[in-house]
Amino acid sequence: MSADHAATLEAFTKQNKISYPLLSDFRRAMLPGYDALVTDEKSPIFRYAKRAYYVIDKNGVVRYMKVMDNPLDLLDPAEVLKALKDVGA
Amino acid sequence: MRRVTPLLVAALLLTGLVSAGSVWTGPATALEVGQKAPDFTLPGPGGKPVKLSDLTAKGPVVVFTFIQAFTNT
Repeated sequence: MSADHAATLEAFTKQNKISYPLLSDFRRAMLPGYDALVTDEKSPIFRYAKRAYYVIDKNGVVRYMKVMDNPLDLLDPAEVLKALKDVGA
Repeated sequence: MRRVTPLLVAALLLTGLVSAGSVWTGPATALEVGQKAPDFTLPGPGGKPVKLSDLTAKGPVVVFTFIQAFTNT
């Protein structure tokens, strides 16, 4: 998921052979409610998505979330995998 | 007039404070663990709409947001 246009994500998916669906929030409809939109006008990525991770269970409840306010911060994939295991996936 | 002026100033200050508070700075309540994730429908591959609740109905879902395609972000 990103704020890129759907056509951009389509091309990105093909080029990188991405196997999971990339969704486009070009209209910034979803990102604000997830605290995942950069709202600082001074930021070079103003109005883009933050790097953020969420695990949502089958009842639609957030069971894990991590929003990176610094775009250079990366998350250890093991942390997300653990969160997934915790919800029984 | 002398009595009115401080009142007027107080009223103006109050109006300023109230309107400053109503400036949109993001969602009213930040999303937290344990809360219902706001449902959304967004275009996915082939422009086909993808709905979060349709995905979660099948099992847990990982949502990952990233900064921009075709960059190393």
